[in-house]
Amino acid sequence: MSAPQLSRKDKVLLHCAPLRDEHVNDRALRTALHHARKTESFAVQQNFDKAAASLVQAIPIPQEITDWIPTDTFIAPTRSRWKKYAQNPAFLATGTAILVIAVIGIFQLVDRLNRFPGEPTARRLLTTASSTHAMMLDPVKTDAGALGDFLFMKHRLVHYDVPPEFAELKTLGCRVFDDEDGQRVAQVWAVEKKMQFFLFPAERDAKTGKAREFSGWRNIEQERWAGVVKEQNGVCFMAAIRGNLKDLAPYISKKKE
Amino acid sequence: MAEEKQNLFQLYRFCFLMLADAAKAQEVFHATLREAAQLAANGEAPRDHLWFFCNARWRCLEAGEQGLQAEDVDLEQDELAEWAPSQIEKLEPQQLAVWISGAPDPQRTALALFYLDEFSYRDLLSVTELKPPELSKLLCDGRRQFQAWLDATFPATQP
Repeated sequence: MSAPQLSRKDKVLLHCAPLRDEHVNDRALRTALHHARKTESFAVQQNFDKAAASLVQAIPIPQEITDWIPTDTFIAPTRSRWKKYAQNPAFLATGTAILVIAVIGIFQLVDRLNRFPGEPTARRLLTTASSTHAMMLDPVKTDAGALGDFLFMKHRLVHYDVPPEFAELKTLGCRVFDDEDGQRVAQVWAVEKKMQFFLFPAERDAKTGKAREFSGWRNIEQERWAGVVKEQNGVCFMAAIRGNLKDLAPYISKKKE
Repeated sequence: MAEEKQNLFQLYRFCFLMLADAAKAQEVFHATLREAAQLAANGEAPRDHLWFFCNARWRCLEAGEQGLQAEDVDLEQDELAEWAPSQIEKLEPQQLAVWISGAPDPQRTALALFYLDEFSYRDLLSVTELKPPELSKLLCDGRRQFQAWLDATFPATQP
């Protein structure tokens, strides 16, 4: 039988081949050993190494050391370090996949937490706000808090009340219109910072017809416009401003009765 | 992979192979263990079993510089012989240690670690700080040089 041809890489590895199989923990070395297993030169090398290794094991240990250290004293084995695992391609790929899934999950969770009933309507009205001019509204100069009665008396809109946080702001104009879903929407133009208020029916449960409530203020931002939305008595109130949420934060952080 | 355990006596054998002097080997062995104990007492215990051999290696090289130095000559090399095991059996461990300790470093460290038969290929590369082709050449040359020395010492064993 002809001796198998060994590659240069195999030869390099075989010169370093450990005598014991348990020390062969390198894939390339294992392959080289597989290739060389039946070659005569490798068998000669292994016999040479085994004889030399046996001679090394015959080195006597001085009495002072054997007295001081018990025969079965071992150096602690290497602890598997996380870096070693992290460098494994399988762990690396799995870790990356988990990380990506986690990031997507967190984004979706945050997105879900920020959602609230009536958000699509609020976003639509934010677009309306960006395209509205003060001239399009009927002039109504009063306190925003007084508009609840005005809307009820003139348009029969119940609970269309401006929350206390914005009730003291002066208004310039007001109008009521039907949005694309046929819902009655009240739009108010405030003097301060050209702010606009929208009052519209809260989203309703399809089965029960009840308004879907939510507590506190919710934020939305869209195309350089920001809005804060609150639901009360089945009606949503949104204060909208050209800018960002920081501009609205001082109003909603105020505690009002 | 099974966790490896290194018998502490192997550390002494390593020192002996590096120095071929039992007293100096013992000194380095104790010094290495003392340093490990001090580090452990400071909460920085060596977490790598190779640390002991790396530390002992440098101590051995330092201690080796103080004594007689081997001449820097190109040794003869012979092909490994089938009868080499029978030649090696005739040696005393001290003779092997003298031969290994006379080799220039890093060949000395490579041979001492390799014939302890305690390390994987990667461990050998790590302690010797060599690249695979370098380690391979040093071990290959070491075997051939040792074979030449064996042939010169025990010529009668050749057929």
